[in-house]
Amino acid sequence: MDQSLIEFEHITMEFPGVVANDDVSLSIRQGEVFALVGENGAGKSTLMNILYGIQTPTGGKVRIRGKEVETFSPKNAIELGVGMVHQHFMLVPSFTVAQNIVMSKEPRKYGVFFDNAEAVRRTRALSEEYGLSVDPTAQVKQISVGLQQRVEILKTLYRGAEILILDEPTAVLTPQETEELFEVIRRVVREKNMTVIIITHKLYEVMAISDRVGVMRKGKLVGVCNTADVDEKILSSMMVGRPVLYENLEKTGQPGDPAILVSHLSAKDERGLPAVRDLSLSVRRGEILGIAAIEGNGQSELIEAITGMRSYEGRVVICDRDVTGQDPGSIRAAGLAHVPEDRLATGVSKDATAAENLLVGKQRQPRFSGAMWLQKTAAIRAYTSGLYEDFDIRGAGPEAIVGEMSGGNMQKVVIAREFSFDAPVLIIAQPTRGVDVGAIEFIHTRILEKRNQGAAILLCSADLDEVFRLSDRIITLYEGRITGSFRAGEITKEEIGYYMTGDRGREEAADEKEA
Amino acid sequence: MKKKLDLSYLASLGISVVLAFLIGALILAVSGHHPGHAYAAMFNGAFKGMRHLGDVLEYAMVLCICGLACDLGSRVGIFNVGGEGQLLLGAIAACQIGVWLDGASPWLVFPLAALTAIAVGGLYALIPGVLKVKLKVDEVITTIMLNTIAASICQFLAKGPWKNANKNIVAGTQQLSARYWFGGLVRGSNLSTAIFFAAIMALLVWYVMQKTSRGFEMKITGQNPRFARFSGLKTDQIVILCMTISGAMCGLVGMFRVYGAEHLFKSSISNDYYFEGLMVAMIAQYQPVATILLSLFFAVLKIGAQGMELSAGVPNQIYLIIQTVIIFFMAAERGIFRSIQARRAAKAAKARLEGGSSHV
Repeated sequence: MDQSLIEFEHITMEFPGVVANDDVSLSIRQGEVFALVGENGAGKSTLMNILYGIQTPTGGKVRIRGKEVETFSPKNAIELGVGMVHQHFMLVPSFTVAQNIVMSKEPRKYGVFFDNAEAVRRTRALSEEYGLSVDPTAQVKQISVGLQQRVEILKTLYRGAEILILDEPTAVLTPQETEELFEVIRRVVREKNMTVIIITHKLYEVMAISDRVGVMRKGKLVGVCNTADVDEKILSSMMVGRPVLYENLEKTGQPGDPAILVSHLSAKDERGLPAVRDLSLSVRRGEILGIAAIEGNGQSELIEAITGMRSYEGRVVICDRDVTGQDPGSIRAAGLAHVPEDRLATGVSKDATAAENLLVGKQRQPRFSGAMWLQKTAAIRAYTSGLYEDFDIRGAGPEAIVGEMSGGNMQKVVIAREFSFDAPVLIIAQPTRGVDVGAIEFIHTRILEKRNQGAAILLCSADLDEVFRLSDRIITLYEGRITGSFRAGEITKEEIGYYMTGDRGREEAADEKEA
Repeated sequence: MKKKLDLSYLASLGISVVLAFLIGALILAVSGHHPGHAYAAMFNGAFKGMRHLGDVLEYAMVLCICGLACDLGSRVGIFNVGGEGQLLLGAIAACQIGVWLDGASPWLVFPLAALTAIAVGGLYALIPGVLKVKLKVDEVITTIMLNTIAASICQFLAKGPWKNANKNIVAGTQQLSARYWFGGLVRGSNLSTAIFFAAIMALLVWYVMQKTSRGFEMKITGQNPRFARFSGLKTDQIVILCMTISGAMCGLVGMFRVYGAEHLFKSSISNDYYFEGLMVAMIAQYQPVATILLSLFFAVLKIGAQGMELSAGVPNQIYLIIQTVIIFFMAAERGIFRSIQARRAAKAAKARLEGGSSHV
């Protein structure tokens, strides 16, 4: 088992202006589960993309089974037994499971025609061999995300993978699905002597699944440890480069009157299909209502409807003002500020400077715009640099172009701008998506401060930990409906998973217990 | 907000201009002209005598206002390719006001003609603006189509109902009486007092775009309309308003051409002048100050090329070649620059690695 299977020797990967991997040397052993952790932009994915041949390193060597890799291409990597499951699945939704699995190495009839029966047979054999049950004839678009991921894994196995790279595999999974995935990983390692490399930033997953863990920071590998020798605290300090403290602010004061009232709201998604179905909720001042839902269950559409970015049926009241059907500007005037889920598309203008992005929304206030609309540049500069300091934004200063900032700093720009409206209602979606550990701590504290100052906050996050840490109440959404409503502390993360998958989750769990 | 002087832009512009002149010289040489003589004739054509200089300034005015009109649309994310039509309609409508009101006080005719040109040009731009915002119809296609329609309408009017029976031209309207003309500034040239109004207009556009809160809103709208709407800006209104003002400016250029230079409407009112202004705006990367300065530069080239044709017998199309080659280089520059940067980074990494590994 201790034999070195993959060796990275002095790997360097430079992009214009960025060193993604800086002299990384690492060896990975046959038959182990190796976790690669680090903040966003630390270079984890780049290193794995090199192993899978998507990128050619600008310096250094990769050896697999002692042999140096000469050409970097996925085709070559697959031949060497490397398989990778990306964060975003690469499946054809309208094809069946079997068709997706055999793609690129299809069984043929008479050398010409696609042999569907053979594809199904092979898929079945494969799924029995590895104990990964799937229905070969189901269409991919009809199966759950967890099963789609299983199809991706089977696809790499079908191509003969002995080394499996999983890039943030649990980001889209419920706790139950995550546990199932871990079972699968343990099984292929134990029974097939496979080697699994898992990229993640969730430290409890590292503790649960890996044998060894490598920590990356700013392109460098800062340490490799046996998982048994470390704990989450040590790992997070290694990731950030300083001790990380999680101190939740005590809740002060009691919730007041409802400031967000949504009644019987229905909205459609981009394809014109119902996404939110007859949903009602209310959030009181001094309260955080968290939405727990798997992506694509109507939470994005719900938030867009409330903030005026999407048309809908139903009624929305913000701070006692009926804002039903109004444009985002009028809703903001009623007292709403909003941190959107997709900061690049909605939250910033990436071609503008940080200062300009911080000003947007306040540009007409008399303190910034004088006679003949003339901008008061001195006042603007003083105000935006103040915000830049207050929110601990790091980078090339307020005049830096936002598109060139890191994800975490860009998110701080968005949060600084929206929080400084001092609005009584805050809608916050994915506040820490793609944000590093140090910044998460900071953002969470700011959100709790706002709550304690009496803001009504609607929080939506794909990160269940975040929802549990911040919320005073939690609702679960499944297919656009509320499937559960709880006070903080009434429910565990494991239990809530059932509500997030609707009835289907419960049935699937029951099925598996029977089997 | 303060914008730093962009050195890389200036460098790429300078290199493009030099290369364009070199390629122009090559073409001249191959076609049997002496490049040095031709370029000297071009220089003389622009600067020799006040008459030529006057024409340069008049043409720079046209390019500048057309270019700024294009900047205004581009700033909010709408590309006004229809300025030519807006200009023509503005010109003919303003001209006819002067013809109909012949005998009235210039104090009545001037403002009324200007307002008519503004209204006609603006309304004609409003159509593609509304179609874009409300129905997501691509403005490039609609504005190009509307150009053809406008040109045909003008031809129809100038040949038909509004034709000048006394003049020996196929399509032309009645001449304005001399008391309605903008005062000439240089004898024998097209330069008139219209240039002062144009200068005020250019200053105003620059001021609004670069110095005001509304200009800031325009910029954000153009950069990311979704973000602008999310932030509470009335993006639909902003886009439609800017497109309308852009059209109004083009209409006014038409009025300036009629009341300042031609004194009646005929086809030479504009020979795709808007498109040349649009090219200037493109080279200026839609920045107002650069648009104003480059308008002067290209007016020198254009008028100079006309003089060169007369004195040296070189076809003035050499001007168009130089202009389009500059655009070509400016467009290619980004790609070339990026690839040089990438190669340099790769080389640096390699050097560092080789140096580093020897210590280990």
